[in-house]
Amino acid sequence: MSEKVKVTNLVKTFGDNEVLKGINLTVQNNEVVVIIGPSGSGKSTLLRNLNKLEEPTSGSIVIDNVDIARNDVDINSVRENIGMVFQHFNLFKNLTVGENIMLAPIELKKETKEQAEAQAKKLLATVGLEEKFGATVQSLSGGQQQRVAIARALAMNPDIMLFDEPTSALDPEMVGDVLEVMKKLAKQGMTMVVVTHEMGFAKEVADRVVFVDDGQILEEGTPEQIFEHPKNERLQDFLNKILNV
Amino acid sequence: MKRKVLSAFGLLAVFVAILFCLGLPGSKAQAKTYQIGTDVTYPPFEFANKKNKYVGIDIDIIKAIAKEEGFKVNVKPVGFNAAVQSVQSGQLDGIIAGMTITPERKDKFDFGTPYYKTGAVMAVKKGSNITSFKQLKGKKVALKTGTAAADYANSLKKKYGFKTVTFDDSDNMYQDVTTGNSVACFDDQPVLQYGIKHGLKLQIASKPANQGWYGFGVKKGTHKQLIKKFNAGLKIIRENGTYDKIVGKYLGTTANPQVKGKTFTIGTDVTFPPFEFANKNNKYVGIDMDLIRAIANEQGFKVKIKALGFNAAVQAVESGQADGVIAGMSITNARKAQFDFSKPYFNSGVVMAVAKNSKIHKLSELRGKKVAVKTGTSGADYANSLKKKYGFKVVTFDDSNNMYQDVTTGNSIACFEDHPVMQYAIKQGTKLKIVTKPALNAPYGFAVKKGHNQALLKAFNTGLEDLKASGTYDTIKAKYLGSDEIKTAAKTSGNSAEDRTFIGLIKQNQGALLSGLKETLWLTVVSIFFATIFGVLVGLMGVVPNKFSRGTSTTLIYLFRGMPLLVLALFIYTGIPSLTGQKIPAFVAGVITLTFNEGAYIAAFVKGGIEAVDPGQMEAARSLGLPFGKSMRKIILPQGIRIMVPSFINQFIITLKDTSILSIIGLLELTQTGKIIIARNLEGFKVWTIVAAIYLIIITVLTWLSNWVQRRTKV
Ligand SMILES: Nc1ncnc2c1ncn2[C@@H]1O[C@H](COP(=O)(O)OP(=O)(O)OP(=O)(O)O)[C@@H](O)[C@H]1O
Ligand SMILES: [Mg+2]
Repeated sequence: MSEKVKVTNLVKTFGDNEVLKGINLTVQNNEVVVIIGPSGSGKSTLLRNLNKLEEPTSGSIVIDNVDIARNDVDINSVRENIGMVFQHFNLFKNLTVGENIMLAPIELKKETKEQAEAQAKKLLATVGLEEKFGATVQSLSGGQQQRVAIARALAMNPDIMLFDEPTSALDPEMVGDVLEVMKKLAKQGMTMVVVTHEMGFAKEVADRVVFVDDGQILEEGTPEQIFEHPKNERLQDFLNKILNV
Repeated sequence: MKRKVLSAFGLLAVFVAILFCLGLPGSKAQAKTYQIGTDVTYPPFEFANKKNKYVGIDIDIIKAIAKEEGFKVNVKPVGFNAAVQSVQSGQLDGIIAGMTITPERKDKFDFGTPYYKTGAVMAVKKGSNITSFKQLKGKKVALKTGTAAADYANSLKKKYGFKTVTFDDSDNMYQDVTTGNSVACFDDQPVLQYGIKHGLKLQIASKPANQGWYGFGVKKGTHKQLIKKFNAGLKIIRENGTYDKIVGKYLGTTANPQVKGKTFTIGTDVTFPPFEFANKNNKYVGIDMDLIRAIANEQGFKVKIKALGFNAAVQAVESGQADGVIAGMSITNARKAQFDFSKPYFNSGVVMAVAKNSKIHKLSELRGKKVAVKTGTSGADYANSLKKKYGFKVVTFDDSNNMYQDVTTGNSIACFEDHPVMQYAIKQGTKLKIVTKPALNAPYGFAVKKGHNQALLKAFNTGLEDLKASGTYDTIKAKYLGSDEIKTAAKTSGNSAEDRTFIGLIKQNQGALLSGLKETLWLTVVSIFFATIFGVLVGLMGVVPNKFSRGTSTTLIYLFRGMPLLVLALFIYTGIPSLTGQKIPAFVAGVITLTFNEGAYIAAFVKGGIEAVDPGQMEAARSLGLPFGKSMRKIILPQGIRIMVPSFINQFIITLKDTSILSIIGLLELTQTGKIIIARNLEGFKVWTIVAAIYLIIITVLTWLSNWVQRRTKV
């Protein structure tokens, strides 16, 4: 096992609001890390710092031995290797399903149109939507859209996948399909950082669970350590709340 | 509830009534105050002096007249076109604005006695080598809307092949020449003289042409009292020297220096109505008398009339006892041996007259009938020369009255008489009517002894021309002959017979309106093209993650959206050449103006449209590694444009309408075309209706088109 991502003393402030207060986090190759924590604790902000959708205020984020927190890094090529899946899917509304997936590979000259198309169809098959290649985004259900979004993120052959609450905007009956796809990905050895409230998924898939509260990592460990033997009081509170809902 | 509303109405009514009562007594009790419109700046006739007080020949004259006649005037410098329209709509009582009396304007206005003579001249930039119209070929010439000088220039346009640009005010027109945009301008002579005297960098390059007269106008058929007072007052200030003083103050003297102040003795006939005869007060009046007096007045000399009888008068001139003769004297080759004649001032001829209820109207109907003539007249000569051919009998009388009576009683079927004499008699109540056109044309002339009194002869000719131009000549003729002839003359002269219906107006002005429309559309299309480029660029600058570029965008939008289009147009057209010394064609200035103004609006909605796209779209694109520009082009813009389409269409329509404001810099687009047509025919309401309808039609078509586009771009 080697380090894929190493976050050191990451601080992020929005104006006077210090949202991340010195985060230290390491993600190993092929590891699945699940981040849990109460609303507003800074989970999304942490995730978005990992591909610099948010500019880190201080600290370092080393990915494959490159500190992306520095200003001189070519962020576009870094991002090509980091796939991201959003809570609200964010599929391109002016493009078809196929075009959504093929856009980046073609535009960034990784693949020809033919290659991209073949790959897009393959990816759609892995997420169970091969028949939707020519469909418009608007004609898909939420769960289908999220699976397409995963396919789109995979199209650039990333080493890491970031998921920000990928199922929380979905109707309950759609959640399963999306989680299925994610499990499959995990099994294939994808390095994944997942923010989620799906504790079942965390227990089953996570190699490590990280509890974030108030911009700090208060506890981390295996799912068993976190869910069965939580040490931190706030974590215990948090787990009580969500498990008793 | 209802009651409350009613009482509110009642209160309002009382309030309005009080306002009226407060307003009315002022105008009733004191001397009447007339609202008089004038131009904003038309020196030396009207302009604000250093103390910002309105002065000038027009203003001084109307005030002097008001003082003489005991009324008050409130002179409002609203601009020429606005004054014309306000008088027509009744908002103003009269207009004095260096307004040339034209037949077209006479259809809409009643004019007072002409008060100032003017002529159109061409002026060029100081030091320019242009001295003739021929040199204007292919060049641009600046004009001011609605002026007689503009009409004059337009009449030369085809012949000399120049282009015209029109302006609403003289300053812009002059500036167009001094900046070199146009090579020449046409304006009234006194105006240019005055301007040049006061530092305008132009020089006059042609002789005065199309001479005309300025008149004080009121809406036709209204304010008869005001016109009467004006005429009476004008006469007084002309006689007491106030008029000369006013004109002298601004321009120096105008009268013909060669005859000014001199007195000439003029011989005439004893009785030859309507040319000369003693009226009830034993004063000699008649066409000849009124004419020679009016000419003397205009040219600044005095006349002493001697009613010597025709033969005696002629001899008095030959012997040098009289300086000239005006006595219904036909210009003949025989007389030319002894006399120098003026240009003919009246065309006489023999006509046939019959009883009012007679059906006879041709010479051929006289066969076997009796015809009355007066001894020694050309009418008698004419009848005698025809009697064989048409087989009628001639009865001769010594006296016109008896001759007429012979016809009215039915003894004779017709009589032959000089045309003006017959007309005058009919006007005086003789129950006859003229049924033929004048035959044996005989032009009357004013005569001096051959080789003598040439200055007087010249003054007569100039004066005659002036009186004809000013309409005074027609007024004199009408006074003695009735207005029939003048009416027919006016009709055959064409213009006033114009068809003034909507269809007629459209037909006459079809060409002008179409080319105006073309210019409007062309301006719109070119402007919207550049405005879109400018607007999209500035709009995009407003969304890129760069503070400097965002600031620039915001500033540009603020600047060009905040500036009134009119000011921007004037700034670009007249300001930029002053700053850079580089002239700028009106069309280009217009396009630049619209590009900036409409572009700023486009920028605002482009920015807004982009900002309206879900930010998640940009994040998703960037998270894939797509650079900002690519994300913008591939994802954000296509979605933003869909949001912008309705605004674009709206802006297109606004641009089309805004082109009308560019008429201020002389662009001959649809609105300016309308202004020019109205300046000529004064049919403001109808022409604006037509222009408005054209705009509406175009906009309707555009709206349809855009709805179609919108439907196609919908997802
Ligand atoms: N762009 C921003 N500008 C200002 N404040 C922000 C911004 N993004 C997030 N924040 C603030 O940072 C804090 C953490 O937000 P974040 O979205 O990271 O929380 P979260 O843990 O993901 O919560 P949730 O579970 O509700 O998604 C919140 O107080 C939020 O208001
Ligand atoms: Mg979140």
